[in-house]
Amino acid sequence: MAILGTALLLGGCPAPWPRPTPPNGASPTPAVPPPGEPGASANPPGAPPAPRPPLTPREHRFSPATRALVTQAQTLLARGDIDGASSTLDRALRIEPSNPLLWVELGRVRLVESDAHQAEACARKALALATGDRSTQAQAGRLLAAALKAQGRNPEAQAVEERPYMH
Amino acid sequence: MARSRSRHWRVFFIVSGLAAILLAAISVIWVVHLDRVVRREFQGRLWSVPARVYAAPLELYAGAPISANDLEQELRRLHYRRGDPGSGPGFYRRTGNAFDLEARRVRFIDEARDARRVSIHADSASITSMRLADGSDLPVFRLDPPVIGSVFPIHGEDRLVVAPADVPPLLRNGIKLIEDRRFDEHHGVDLYGVLRASWANLRAGRVVQGGSTLTQQLVKNYFLSDEQTFGRKATEAVMAMRIEAHYSKEDILVAYINEVYLGQDGARAIHGFGLGSEYYFAKPLGELEPGELALLIGLVKGPSFYDPRKHPDRALARRNLVLKAFADAQLIDAAAAKRAIASPLGLRPPGGSYVPAYLDLVRRHLKRDYAEADLAGAGLSVYTSLDLRAQAAAERALTQNLQRLDTKAPVRGEHLEGAVIVVEPNSGDVVAVVGGREVDMSGFDRALDARRPIGSLVKPAVYLTALESGRYTPATLIEDAPIELKLSDGSVWAPQNFERQVYGQVPLARALAESMNLATVRLGLDLGLPKVATTLERLGLESSPTLNPSLLLGTVEMSPLEVVQVYTTLADGGFRTRLRAVRAVLDSAGKPLKSFKVQVEAVAPPDAVYELDRMLMLVPTHGTARGVAARLPKGLVVAGKTGTSSDTRDSWFAGFTGSYLSVVWVGYDDNRETGLTGAAGALPVWADTMASLKPVSFDPVAPDLVEDRWIGFNDGLETTPECSADAVVIAVPKDAQLPHNPQCSSASQAAAGEKNPAPHATAGEKIKQWFKSIVH
Repeated sequence: MAILGTALLLGGCPAPWPRPTPPNGASPTPAVPPPGEPGASANPPGAPPAPRPPLTPREHRFSPATRALVTQAQTLLARGDIDGASSTLDRALRIEPSNPLLWVELGRVRLVESDAHQAEACARKALALATGDRSTQAQAGRLLAAALKAQGRNPEAQAVEERPYMH
Repeated sequence: MARSRSRHWRVFFIVSGLAAILLAAISVIWVVHLDRVVRREFQGRLWSVPARVYAAPLELYAGAPISANDLEQELRRLHYRRGDPGSGPGFYRRTGNAFDLEARRVRFIDEARDARRVSIHADSASITSMRLADGSDLPVFRLDPPVIGSVFPIHGEDRLVVAPADVPPLLRNGIKLIEDRRFDEHHGVDLYGVLRASWANLRAGRVVQGGSTLTQQLVKNYFLSDEQTFGRKATEAVMAMRIEAHYSKEDILVAYINEVYLGQDGARAIHGFGLGSEYYFAKPLGELEPGELALLIGLVKGPSFYDPRKHPDRALARRNLVLKAFADAQLIDAAAAKRAIASPLGLRPPGGSYVPAYLDLVRRHLKRDYAEADLAGAGLSVYTSLDLRAQAAAERALTQNLQRLDTKAPVRGEHLEGAVIVVEPNSGDVVAVVGGREVDMSGFDRALDARRPIGSLVKPAVYLTALESGRYTPATLIEDAPIELKLSDGSVWAPQNFERQVYGQVPLARALAESMNLATVRLGLDLGLPKVATTLERLGLESSPTLNPSLLLGTVEMSPLEVVQVYTTLADGGFRTRLRAVRAVLDSAGKPLKSFKVQVEAVAPPDAVYELDRMLMLVPTHGTARGVAARLPKGLVVAGKTGTSSDTRDSWFAGFTGSYLSVVWVGYDDNRETGLTGAAGALPVWADTMASLKPVSFDPVAPDLVEDRWIGFNDGLETTPECSADAVVIAVPKDAQLPHNPQCSSASQAAAGEKNPAPHATAGEKIKQWFKSIVH
């Protein structure tokens, strides 16, 4: 059974590691995960980590600090200062390293500087961090599709565009 | 006869004339040669301003875990002074937890920021708000990047070069007074000085005075060994005169101030007053008191004889002699001299802002990523990822724990060594590197260069390979039973568990958490050694490991830095992130030569990595790192793995929180047995380091098709925490069928299913249905 489950991640999108292809090329449905076991949150410190609480479809946002930096980075990018935009986003990443929106921003900068490979990696990273947040998934998905197209990988890009969260 | 005699004379005159001409020619060639050597070297030194290396600036924003006291400490480190911030940049005022600061003009990688007035509020835990002078809200603000050293990127020496304008007048005049009174008059060699010194030496019957001018001393520092021969003296004198012919007294004095030898720090020579000031007092030269300047000037005469750390009495006497001379020459007034004479030496405590191991990594990354020609430019600025607070935490954790462990060591009198690296896994930023217990000594850098067998640190690669294969989940039972293997060389290999026990059938999760050797070897052989080796390489190991079965137990040798690269991928959901010590290099005009952008690459499937990470979270709660919670903030969730090489020669821990990843190695330099497991040696260092960093819990994002379930740690059967005392959480693919514990009702599972009827069949279910349709 496990093989079928693991096979489906990033369905339809070839990953750099070898993995079986799902029989029908189905994309994963972003179902809301089931709630955690009862009593999970009442764990004493030092006890085993409990299953995570019900993952409410959570929308990622920027904190005021990262929002300010992202705005600054976008201004720099518009001015053509790619290095400046990158460094500014670096600062934001230090503050919120696992905010998928920041990885989307970083990927966009990479795309502007024609580094489609890194743009793709940033998009994948954003997707990995965005589970349960359709709006962020859609942004990351659009970036991923663009990065794939820039590499001439149109069928893969197409498959990404057909993922459920893209609509 | 007379004629023949006169012919003899003629021949004699001609020969000696020719000889004289030849000698003169040789002398001229010699002098011209020395002149060229001198000019080349002097020119090179004078105008090769080393690259300044900066630590990462501290980012302030509402919620940043920086208390009011932390903030003041940082301001002090940056040499901000208490006072009226209206009086200029570099001053701050603290009123309770409110700071009013006039920040200096600084250059960052991405901007040159003008001086500005900022008010910052903090409480006992974090920054609460920040405003600009006009009252507008300031969402994010960074302090000045601290200077951590200077490197000549090409030849690697470090200096803190002082510009002429930054030389304190007392230093300028004091050096001349003590070392070369007639510096402003002579032309490189001071005949009067030589005569005076000779007379003094003759009277004393031994060498009590040197007649060398500053220029001669400079030449000696540049070119010559310490041997005292006539030839060397002559060369030195000629070179000194040539320097005087070409350069101004000011250039020569400044070069001297930046060159003179002032002491030894392990393998590192302390050259120049800038570095000397940092090394002995941890202060910039401009802030030294007269007594401190006097000590440095006094050291010139004999840096090892007067070494203030080894011979404080000699150093004190010498300093006071210099201070008296200062007062006699009216460089300082008598009262100031008296005060200074009464004060202690004021040396900084060992440790501090000198970070040789980190600079070592910076040099290597520069060499790796830049052409030599790019680095030859003068006045580069190198911006690094170093976090001085993390560095201090790691240094403290290592030295304190090693001192404690030494007292328990099997071999008395031997000093344990260790290394710590801390990184921010998402960006790959290397925030701290400690290369040994003498944290401010340069020398053998264990963090980068000690390649040791990694022991059980290798196991996550084996288990990741298993999860990726699709044939195993963390609940799958595997056999922990004796095994004998015939190796290619004919010998028989019979590994054992650390406790020499055999555990029988155990779930994957437990085998990893308790680091069972037999189960792991069996699992690895089932998967195939090449597969495991490939996983290691994908994760970040740069060399291909030898495909020997003992690879499964970690006979592969890696440096702490290499381990960091591998584990970063595990902490980071299967994304390999390029480690980064240097973020950018700017030229003297502030233009970036090149910046090192965050670089990530997806190298392992996020679902398998998530399942593995969930297992690594059991190591500190149920496995070999049990008990670590006592050293960590309450409730902090961490993940990691212990490693112990054969006969406890190497003690390792690699682990991560939501904020940082750290790898610690502890062992002896001569590779003898320590008697320490990974949990006893490296783990406390790791935990103490992590605890000081105020990290957030490790909380990986579950990929869509994976979910968390409870199983019995011992039997691997699905259960509930109410039913089984040994229930632990693992992650499995959503459609995985786990065998249930028959003693525990499967009610919770069924209920969970009913409570959450899937809106439409998940892809996994679709496949299940498809699969069933084939089977039935």
